Amino acid sequence: MLEFIISKYNFWLYVILMMIGLYAMLAKRNLVKKLIGMNIFQTAIILFYVSIGVKKGSVHVPIIVDSHGHGAQLIHAADYLNPLPHVLMLTAIVVSIATTGVALAVLILIYRRYQTLNEDEIIHIRQARQKAGV
Amino acid sequence: MAQQFPALIIVIPLLAALLTAPIGAINRRLCYPWLVFIIGVTLVLALGLMIQIINSGPISYAMGGWKPPWGIEYKIDQLNALMMVLISGAGFLGALYSGPSFTKELPGRQTAATALYFLMITGLLGIVVTGDLFNIFVFLEIASLSGYGLIACGSEDAPLATFRYIIMGTIGASCYLLGVGYLYISTGSLNLADLHHLLPPLYHSRVVLTAAALMLVGISLKMALFPLHAWLPEAYFEAPSTVSGVVAPLYTKVGGYLMIRIIYNLFEPKFFIETFPITTILSWTAIIALLIGSIYAIAQKDLKKMLCYSVIAQVGYIVLGIALANQAGFTSAILTIVNEVCTKSCIFLATGAIIYRLGNSRIDNLQHLYRRMPWTMLAFTIGAFSMVGIPPTCGFFSKLYLLCGCVAAGRWAFIAALLLSTILNVIYFFRVIKAACFENPQPDYSRSEAYPLVEVDEVPLAMLLPILLAASAIIITGLGSNWLVTNIITPILPLGF
Amino acid sequence: MKTIILAFVILSGGLLIYGTIDMPAWGDPHSPANSYVSPLYIEEALKETETPNIVTAVLADYRGYDTMGETTVIFTAAVACALLLRGWSEGRKERE
Repeated sequence: MLEFIISKYNFWLYVILMMIGLYAMLAKRNLVKKLIGMNIFQTAIILFYVSIGVKKGSVHVPIIVDSHGHGAQLIHAADYLNPLPHVLMLTAIVVSIATTGVALAVLILIYRRYQTLNEDEIIHIRQARQKAGV
Repeated sequence: MAQQFPALIIVIPLLAALLTAPIGAINRRLCYPWLVFIIGVTLVLALGLMIQIINSGPISYAMGGWKPPWGIEYKIDQLNALMMVLISGAGFLGALYSGPSFTKELPGRQTAATALYFLMITGLLGIVVTGDLFNIFVFLEIASLSGYGLIACGSEDAPLATFRYIIMGTIGASCYLLGVGYLYISTGSLNLADLHHLLPPLYHSRVVLTAAALMLVGISLKMALFPLHAWLPEAYFEAPSTVSGVVAPLYTKVGGYLMIRIIYNLFEPKFFIETFPITTILSWTAIIALLIGSIYAIAQKDLKKMLCYSVIAQVGYIVLGIALANQAGFTSAILTIVNEVCTKSCIFLATGAIIYRLGNSRIDNLQHLYRRMPWTMLAFTIGAFSMVGIPPTCGFFSKLYLLCGCVAAGRWAFIAALLLSTILNVIYFFRVIKAACFENPQPDYSRSEAYPLVEVDEVPLAMLLPILLAASAIIITGLGSNWLVTNIITPILPLGF
Repeated sequence: MKTIILAFVILSGGLLIYGTIDMPAWGDPHSPANSYVSPLYIEEALKETETPNIVTAVLADYRGYDTMGETTVIFTAAVACALLLRGWSEGRKERE
């Protein structure tokens, strides 16, 4: 049982982190807090992927030492960490940053239009405007 | 040259997006011919690729020469080619339309909008052309980000609608990414065709079950399947006319394409029927979606908002076709995608034209429209006929196959729901046609001078042409639906129904 | 509303944890992820790409197309921000 928990607990921690982010995205009424929740959610997924790359018993990060000049040395795959999740997450980090950037630009527009970032207040302002328009 | 088409079709709009900034810096007006020219070239390439594939079968293209599953593979079969033609076709119509529309709605911002338009087409084409799960995620995000940017520069309330779209879209994309991660951890591969062979022994693994659920939920969010549709109507309603005329026909349908790939090509249909009976849940959700979408559409007072809810209803048709998991259902799903791209392109662009002339699209504002804008309304009527399913439009054939699929599956309740939703479609479209055609203001007998004549007041030719082209595409795909079924759909019918 | 969301979040968290039960143990060198595709990258990267950093080799060579997509994402975000924010300041000048 203990072994089972030890072999899985890191995934569970990421799931908890993800759920914190998801809760913030859905339940918070302040738009910036929603955005922060989005970042937590994406970061948790990134951590999850990176943890896939771990190999017990491998001693090296995936960089081959002394590679130049010793071209003929033998490389054992078991000695190095799995490089693929790291590569994927480099891309995912960039995607998450880009999404955050666009979302912040949109938030600037929202703030300039309504002078607030609280969703309830914005809905209130919109209803008031609609009444004034009719 | 011809074997490089799969790569070129992505690279050409991408490079064009990079070159838009210098071109726009020389003269802003050059952006419009540049956009039309490049998307036209993409359309020609897509057509060439489709002809090549129909004649000689699916092709596989290893990006950079690295063999799959180590490198990224493009696997193009008839369905990919069809989607590419649809995307570049609807993109071309939107590009033609964008000239006067961008000038009016986004003055001074055409350069950036044109660049984003290119990137949107690149992203959408990238999703349908690649055979690598992670690559799909990357291009999904390119398409989504450019969509966010283009939608947010719409009307007054557009930024808030976009922010909600960003939150929901990111949850969807993240769920998909997490699903891919769960599959990677249990198989070690990211290649779609490779996973198809690796997965069957793992069908009872809890990781794979969760992965399938996560990916389907993610895609459902992206394609606004009920009950995950709440972000869609507002976002599409607030978008500029050109943007909603391209985003509405394409985004949800690309989601439908991904759902087909996940259910039929990543897994086998028998996985979803026997091991993990999600097709039953999906088909009931689809039925609710197509009824709820239609009912909400009837409740709307604004034409564009009504069409946004009709998008949600149509997502229900596509998902129902997919979830029936029989040959007629599969055929109807693809025909509905074809029909939806043509029809939504036609009626959203026509609605944009109405807004261009009238300033808004409230339904009680449409009087005399058949006299003021006869060609636009002709195209709109053809689109409405196709939505309802009147022959010889494509909508008729897609509904026919869907009914056959329901009969084959023995789901009589679904047939009743489909007929009900057709009646609802009739109600909400003919309400618009009635308002635009028959409703005259009460005659005022006390006045002595003659009534002013309603003069023809059409939109510029650059906007009218794409609307008419889309309307003729509805008729052509309807008449050619037999050709579509024999040449495109039959070769890719999955085995094991 | 918040209670419904909390219940939904806990439910989906439970689903995700349910999915981890059958996962290979953390750091298992024989798990499919560590034994199917990735060993070839480690063993062949130096020979095929002359790059000692395997992450770089995969990033820029084997999966270089993903990286092109990644840079495109950044470009898209930049253009989107330019479209949204620059248009606003120009519009304000016109209004003033």
